[in-house]
Amino acid sequence: MLDKLKKIWQVLNRPSVHYSLGFLTLGGFVAGVIFWGGFNTALEATNQEAFCIGCHEMENNVYQELQSTIHFTNRSGVRATCPDCHVPHNWTDKIARKMQASKEVWGKVFGTINTREKFESKRRELAEHEWARLKANDSLECRNCHNFTYMDFTRQSPRAAQMHSTSLASGEKTCIDCHKGIAHHLPDMAGVEGF
Amino acid sequence: MNMNRRDFIKANAVIAAAGAAGLALPASASNLITSSEQTKLEWNKAPCRFCGTGCSVIVATRDGKVVATHGDANSEVNRGLNCIKGYFLSKIMYGSDRLTTPMLRMTDGKYDKHGEFTPISWDSAFDIMAQKWKETLKAKGPTAVGMFGSGQWTVWEGYAAVKLMKAGFGSNNIDPNARHCMASAVVGFMRTFGIDEPMGCYDDMEAADAFVLWGSNMAEMHPILWTRVTDRRLSASHVKVAVLSTFEHRSFDLADLPIVFTPQTDLAILNFIANYIIQNDKVNWDFVKKHVNFRQGTTDIGYGLRPTHPLEQKAKNVKTAGDSTPIDFDTFKAFVAEYTVEKVSKMSGVPEAKLIELAKLYADPNTKVTSFWTMGFNQHTRGVWCNNLIYNIHLLTGKISTPGNSPFSLTGQPSACGTAREVGTFSHRLPADMVVTNPEHRKHAEEIWKIPSGIIPPKPGYHAVEQNRRLKDGDLNCYWVQVNNNMQAGPNINEEGLPGYRNPANFIVVSDAYPTVTTQAADLILPTAMWVEKEGAYGNAERRTQFWHQMVQAPGESHSDLWQLMEFSKRFTTDEVWPKEVLAANPQFKGKTLFEVLYKNGNVDKFPLADTDPKYLNNEAKHFGFYVQKGLFEEYATFGRGHGHDLAPFDAYHEAHGLRWPVVNGKETQWRFREGADPYVKPGKGFEFYGHPDGRAVIFALPYEPPAESPDEEFDIWLSTGRVLEHWHSGSMTQRVPELYRAFPDAVCFMHPEDAKKRGLRRGDEVRVVSRRGEIKTRVETRGRNKPPVGLVFVPWFDASQLINKVTLDATDPLSKQTDFKKCAVKIVKV
Amino acid sequence: MKTFKLVSAFSALAFSALMITSVTAASIPEDKIDTLRQVPIDVEPTPPAMQAVLNKDIKEVRNYPMQPPVIPHKIDGYQLDLKVNKCMACHARQRTGDSQAPMVSVTHYMDRDNNFLAELSPRRYFCTQCHVPQLDAKLLVENDFVDMDHLIKANTVQKKH
Repeated sequence: MLDKLKKIWQVLNRPSVHYSLGFLTLGGFVAGVIFWGGFNTALEATNQEAFCIGCHEMENNVYQELQSTIHFTNRSGVRATCPDCHVPHNWTDKIARKMQASKEVWGKVFGTINTREKFESKRRELAEHEWARLKANDSLECRNCHNFTYMDFTRQSPRAAQMHSTSLASGEKTCIDCHKGIAHHLPDMAGVEGF
Repeated sequence: MNMNRRDFIKANAVIAAAGAAGLALPASASNLITSSEQTKLEWNKAPCRFCGTGCSVIVATRDGKVVATHGDANSEVNRGLNCIKGYFLSKIMYGSDRLTTPMLRMTDGKYDKHGEFTPISWDSAFDIMAQKWKETLKAKGPTAVGMFGSGQWTVWEGYAAVKLMKAGFGSNNIDPNARHCMASAVVGFMRTFGIDEPMGCYDDMEAADAFVLWGSNMAEMHPILWTRVTDRRLSASHVKVAVLSTFEHRSFDLADLPIVFTPQTDLAILNFIANYIIQNDKVNWDFVKKHVNFRQGTTDIGYGLRPTHPLEQKAKNVKTAGDSTPIDFDTFKAFVAEYTVEKVSKMSGVPEAKLIELAKLYADPNTKVTSFWTMGFNQHTRGVWCNNLIYNIHLLTGKISTPGNSPFSLTGQPSACGTAREVGTFSHRLPADMVVTNPEHRKHAEEIWKIPSGIIPPKPGYHAVEQNRRLKDGDLNCYWVQVNNNMQAGPNINEEGLPGYRNPANFIVVSDAYPTVTTQAADLILPTAMWVEKEGAYGNAERRTQFWHQMVQAPGESHSDLWQLMEFSKRFTTDEVWPKEVLAANPQFKGKTLFEVLYKNGNVDKFPLADTDPKYLNNEAKHFGFYVQKGLFEEYATFGRGHGHDLAPFDAYHEAHGLRWPVVNGKETQWRFREGADPYVKPGKGFEFYGHPDGRAVIFALPYEPPAESPDEEFDIWLSTGRVLEHWHSGSMTQRVPELYRAFPDAVCFMHPEDAKKRGLRRGDEVRVVSRRGEIKTRVETRGRNKPPVGLVFVPWFDASQLINKVTLDATDPLSKQTDFKKCAVKIVKV
Repeated sequence: MKTFKLVSAFSALAFSALMITSVTAASIPEDKIDTLRQVPIDVEPTPPAMQAVLNKDIKEVRNYPMQPPVIPHKIDGYQLDLKVNKCMACHARQRTGDSQAPMVSVTHYMDRDNNFLAELSPRRYFCTQCHVPQLDAKLLVENDFVDMDHLIKANTVQKKH
């Protein structure tokens, strides 16, 4: 086993005999582009709702819950899909989130949440991750669509206008502070601030 | 307003007793009227007008109007609470379209089946009624007249109606709309225990460790009982709630164990639980050996459709559907053995783990289980079986008749128990669980009623669904409907109900407080006093009898059903209605009016007008000159006293906030069949199911059988109908209360978003709900409180402009004759 | 002003009473008798469009002191189950400072035996059993319920004369 590894290392370590430096540089570049493109395409594929609900854990639980909410159907037909809210839009954060997601793959493979009951028992933990993330980034994914600057309070209910023009305007509160559970069922909320 | 704590407690007591403390409290501000003499309201108790829970409310009147209501703090049932409907009781009598005068279909001053509704006097109304009744009786005999009543009749109204029909006209064609509601529960009780109505009571809720809801959405249909279940579940963390239904609804909000199953497979789940208990050696042998018999019931019994229907012709044992033969435990064990968790999970679509968790609740000897059910079980083509099978489970484990261990059948109407069942307003029944088919029972009734023997016919009359069929066929020609809205509530009205009412050979009379779809199909409409516009008595689901006084006058010329029945009886003499040979043998009855022989018989007119409380109104007593209600009640009570159905003396009920029968030596009974709790159980017996001669209850071997109609390629989705919290039954009262109307104005078709998407539909789209029998137009709701699974839609039936019973199938349980409103096949088509 | 209100209330009453008499005086065709339907039984009317929830946060006057107030706002998606009671996130005593919503009444802190609890009584947990939002639906039939205030004031007016 060790011998084999040594051999491979020797091959890799030896300068090229057959190919020119130019070919290697160009070839490496092309390969790099292909690889990079492929990586991003694959990454984007995982950013589709169809991919998310390809797992029955997502389809049977959170996706079912989403369907009766305002983020699924509403008057203007602007729909939020899973990644709109759950995947950061700028690249670095996205990669960071994707690396986190590897844990979810682990969960999928080992069936951590493969029944409704298991999912329910994990719901508080999973929800807390999302609340913490959105709290930390000042509800960035909400604000990708709901831009405070363009909110017309006269088009909101008196109660909403009151809250948005004070607590949200002053930065004292961020979206997720008040709008937990807007797209999925809430977990047991014992001890959660505001409940 | 400064109040110290003591004052506050005092004031609170005032709220409880008299309410409106804020108005009556002295205040110094000059813009308020603070003289308690002027702000005083008159407060009295009454049971709620709506469901079978039987909440007590306190009603405020002022200047002849009901001005407020609140929950009765002194009632054990609701302890001060009401549901949204109960809180708005004050307004149910004041819809601006109250009927105030009799109205007959007329053209050019004459009765015409196709005429317009024209106001007439009561005299003219009774004239034409009597004329039609007499013509029909003469031509076709007593089987051609009939009556459709209700579990909303007061006790004495139901009793007076039974007497008029069975003892007066000699016709058993009287049935209540309770047939649609809990007939399966009744037959279930009679088969298993030999005596009707629950052994337990509402106090079970504070003692149970687990609740199992079988086809019951208590959160919406029995909200106050749900507050007691919720109280128990949230106060004691070990308590578990299991909710079983064919779709997700509000009761699932409290469920630890939510179970959505394929329609009809409740039969299989019930048998699986029995099998689990046996396989895991959890049978309570001590109990089973002493108190239980085993029997095998007849199978392949049909679906209660017309005899010409292919399903009836195919079924082998329609005629012997109610039969059963004794078996032993081992045969029963072998019978349920096929209902394994694997098989039943596959049939029902419920994961195995959930089925086992459910079975464990029942199997664990240390868990006290209360099972609740209503229409999911009862409105079922095998509804009686479902009732029998749930008792099987409670009997196998001995979980019965002890606090918290309670198989509990809930009821939908305020006096389904008190009037329909206890008085026996069914086509086969007499008071106190007696039946017309038993000669001894008929004799006993005739003796109490002081009428000659041979008047009560031995053959059961037409039941609710059969009445509509016979109207259509022209066999039933004079028909009187009181306190119900069967054109909206009955099944398959397109093919049976409407053609029946509009059959030119028939004369249909409908008594109601408001115009309804049923009055729309009637020939004569009689304006009727309701609720506290008359003195009344209701009996709720836990055997609690509750009285109220008349508090206000009904509008216009409205009269109570009781007044109508008794006045109408004056129009007939015995010679016109009783068999000649009976009269010849009993000449003293000749020439007497039915009023005289039924209501001036020395029993009913026994208590003088002076016995009425002068503090209250009592139109009927004043009109007839004696305390009618008391006389009827006391005569009726003689049926049950000493036979396990003891009622307290009349006056006791005006004082108490309800008493649960049997009331023996002034003491009510909370749990029947258990020594120490039930005075009818003999000492040393422990338990005694005295409804059966040997004191034993019966465990029945009964299988799964398929529903009458299932979705196919064309009609591809299940339809279940039902109620919503804010409206009671057909909505004739609650739709007229603005706050309740605005809470849920129109019926909708609740469906799964994927089912909508598949059909190109979205929320709010107008759709046709179509079955083989008829269709309605409604709108799609994908977001509402009910969340059906893919493959099932739910449409409530309260909406007079969306008559979903045009679509339903009139398949009934062959034993109970109760319609299955929960299962038929429809398609949903975009308009 | 007060007298005006009173007068108008009574004229409204008198008017509705008049309506009843006028309705009963004439004959009514079959399809007009049922106020809640207004079409023949064998005809299928077009269901009204789904109405929106009244969402103005304006309190409605109660019909009598013991009536549970209706909810003057949307409650779409408000979770109310074993895990969470969304209503109490604004209406609990501790939350009313932030939310400025009315606190649930003191009766809601009382148990079945009228003892006061520190928190919402579990028997009152499911708010929607008594409190409901209102849709913007046109009434099919008016209700002639009379407020006790009118009766009491009418009585006082009479006594003064």
